[in-house]
Amino acid sequence: MFCEKAIELIRELHRMSDGQLPAFNEDGLRQVLQEMEALYEQNQSDVNEAKSEGRAKLIPSIKLRHCCLLRNQRCVTAYLYDRLLRIRALRWEYGSVLPANVRFHMCAEELQWFSQYKKSLASFMRSLGGNEGLDITQDMKPPKSLYIEVRCLKDHGEFEIDDGTVILLKKNSQHFLPRWKCEQLIRQGVLEHVVS
Amino acid sequence: MFIADIRKDFYEVVANQRVVLLVAPDIDALCACKILQALFHCDQIQYTLVPVTGWQELGTAFLEHKEQFRYFVLINCGANVDLLEMLQPDDDSIFFICDTHRPVDVVNVYNDTQIKLLIKQDDDLSVPSYDDIFRDEDEEGEDSGNESDEGSEPSGKRRRFDEGAVERRIERQRAKREWEARRREILFDYEQYEYHGTSAAMMFFELAWVLTKDTKDMLWWAIIGLTDQWVHDKITNMKYVTDIATMQRHVSRHNHRNEDEENSLSIDCMRISFEYDLRLTLYQHWSLYESIYNSCYTSCSFKLWTLNGQKKLQEFLADMGLPLKQVRQKFNSMDMSIKENLRDVIEESSNKYGMKDIRIQTFGVHFGFKNRFLASDMVHATAALLESAEKDDSETDNFIKALDALSRCAKETKFTLQRLNLLTFPLKMSSFFFLLFSLCRSNIDRLHSGIALAKKKLIAIQQTVASCICTNLILSQGPFLYCYLMEGTPDVKLFSKPMALTLLCKYLLKAFVHSTRNKRCKLLPLVMAAPKDVEKGTVIVVGIPPESETSDKKNFFGRAFEKAAESTSSRTLHDHFDTSIIELKTEDRSKFLDALITLLS
Repeated sequence: MFCEKAIELIRELHRMSDGQLPAFNEDGLRQVLQEMEALYEQNQSDVNEAKSEGRAKLIPSIKLRHCCLLRNQRCVTAYLYDRLLRIRALRWEYGSVLPANVRFHMCAEELQWFSQYKKSLASFMRSLGGNEGLDITQDMKPPKSLYIEVRCLKDHGEFEIDDGTVILLKKNSQHFLPRWKCEQLIRQGVLEHVVS
Repeated sequence: MFIADIRKDFYEVVANQRVVLLVAPDIDALCACKILQALFHCDQIQYTLVPVTGWQELGTAFLEHKEQFRYFVLINCGANVDLLEMLQPDDDSIFFICDTHRPVDVVNVYNDTQIKLLIKQDDDLSVPSYDDIFRDEDEEGEDSGNESDEGSEPSGKRRRFDEGAVERRIERQRAKREWEARRREILFDYEQYEYHGTSAAMMFFELAWVLTKDTKDMLWWAIIGLTDQWVHDKITNMKYVTDIATMQRHVSRHNHRNEDEENSLSIDCMRISFEYDLRLTLYQHWSLYESIYNSCYTSCSFKLWTLNGQKKLQEFLADMGLPLKQVRQKFNSMDMSIKENLRDVIEESSNKYGMKDIRIQTFGVHFGFKNRFLASDMVHATAALLESAEKDDSETDNFIKALDALSRCAKETKFTLQRLNLLTFPLKMSSFFFLLFSLCRSNIDRLHSGIALAKKKLIAIQQTVASCICTNLILSQGPFLYCYLMEGTPDVKLFSKPMALTLLCKYLLKAFVHSTRNKRCKLLPLVMAAPKDVEKGTVIVVGIPPESETSDKKNFFGRAFEKAAESTSSRTLHDHFDTSIIELKTEDRSKFLDALITLLS
């Protein structure tokens, strides 16, 4: 049936919720584009035939194929757009350097889009706050305090803070550190925020 | 040196610095640590918390952090040895020591630059004076200078002068020898007995009070610290009562609100109240029968390891009019009519059975509808968590669990924070909240698991005591009593930990004193050994002072163990902060004991 492959693409994205990015389904996309091309060819020939010979009976099938073409186009653009939204969220989640496995799932054009998005976000951030710029990807929720207490879950070795002091992160040691330095490590699972 | 003003000399010094907190593994230290952490959070003083279980770990932790940190705060460790010699710090490291171990080493007392003791100077210390122990080096230099001058005199007068000089020299040497002998004696007297001073948690609470940053949570932690000293028999009754009075003043200050029907506090707020409550451990979280059966005081008074004793217990319950069915079920499910006057009824009956001190002054806390705890409940629960003998947990894991159990609020895990970051559009709100609630584990749950562990521990102690007394495992070795727990004894793993073993020791000694007829044996101290690590072949040895009503809790086994180990060159490890607890190789046990007997008789 027509448009099935396009729906497959959408279903694949829908299955991976929570902002995860599945691998770029080039095969699927190519198949959809091939189907669209085939439909378009058939439509072309039918339209020519209808025009030249005046066979009105072909019109419903032309209409059907046209609808399928539109449907395919809609599905494909939805697929690509949703992927872009997820990639954008990745910048806010992971920072400007993406882990290798995520990058592997993106196609070349998406990587290019990502780097351009990064650049425009960076120039925007630089333009805020006078000459210094402001990193708006930090502190997504308003912080309650400047310093938080964290507990080390695994041996991480030495960790340097802004004023040069090096803290030794050993398993089960607790530290009271500035919030912004700890967020990365909390996300990675090395530290745990302790609320008391 | 002793700190005069704790706010100026300690708090304001560390106010803008980074600090390392080195904390010993006992409940008093945990409570003190929590109070200090809360203060540091208020003022955003950056710190690193490292739990240390012995001198070796203290040394390692110091080496790891000495490059980066200048200020070290030691809680319940470090006062009773020469810290500078042990750690060999650089000249700019400063140590703040808040320790209950006495006697404080004289070098720590008289060092002006690097060691600051967060201890009150009049806290039962009797430190020898400076001149008795330290002699200035200048005197020596002057004498030798005089001698060389005299040597250049013309030879005629020389002989007479020489004689005079020789006499003076002999006189000086004799004086020096006398001084040194007196110094050794003074130091020996000073360092002979080990005992404990005011709770570290109370010291830090006082600091918080002076800064007017004290809260009810901190007050509760200070009370738990004090109660820990009493539960583990570290301080005398007099001191306990005096300190309770101090805490009572703080409690009434915090409770002083115009609390009446209209202005009452919310039920979730924490309320601390003074209780003149029963000495039955954990009775509100257990059944009354079990609690009476497993508490040291009642068990020893009734002698519950004998049949006669159990009959007496039944009589006691019957005398109070408490039906067995009620008494054996959970305390919360007992009839209200029974619970109402329970304390008075029990006190009256126990006076008849010779238990005059069934009630003790203590404090209780109350927050929420379900959560009521006495201070001793908290101590037992946290101690059980701290020393739980699970295979996978290291000692620092247990430390963290015990530390958590002392807080009241729900714990947020890192997983929920991560999830919050990964959430993007679209997401259903219901699944988000489900995730959040299922991953939050309340600290109260941890406390309840601690209480369950404490119950097991108490039952194990009771059974071990009963079997030791019934099988006469306690032998009199002359100057002390001795007991050895065999490897096959049930629950012997529990007793490889110092606090649990000490508790067992005290319980056992009390039971022995009640059960024996030998008057001389009642005044003897007790040494107990239990297997610590079967693979390495070590035992843990604990010594406690004799049991008496007016005991001053001074323990001489620290020095005795050291000397005995030296004289027999046994392979011992004096790693614990309490010097009366050591580790010994199993093979050396008998010769060590013999040496100890000779030493003490």
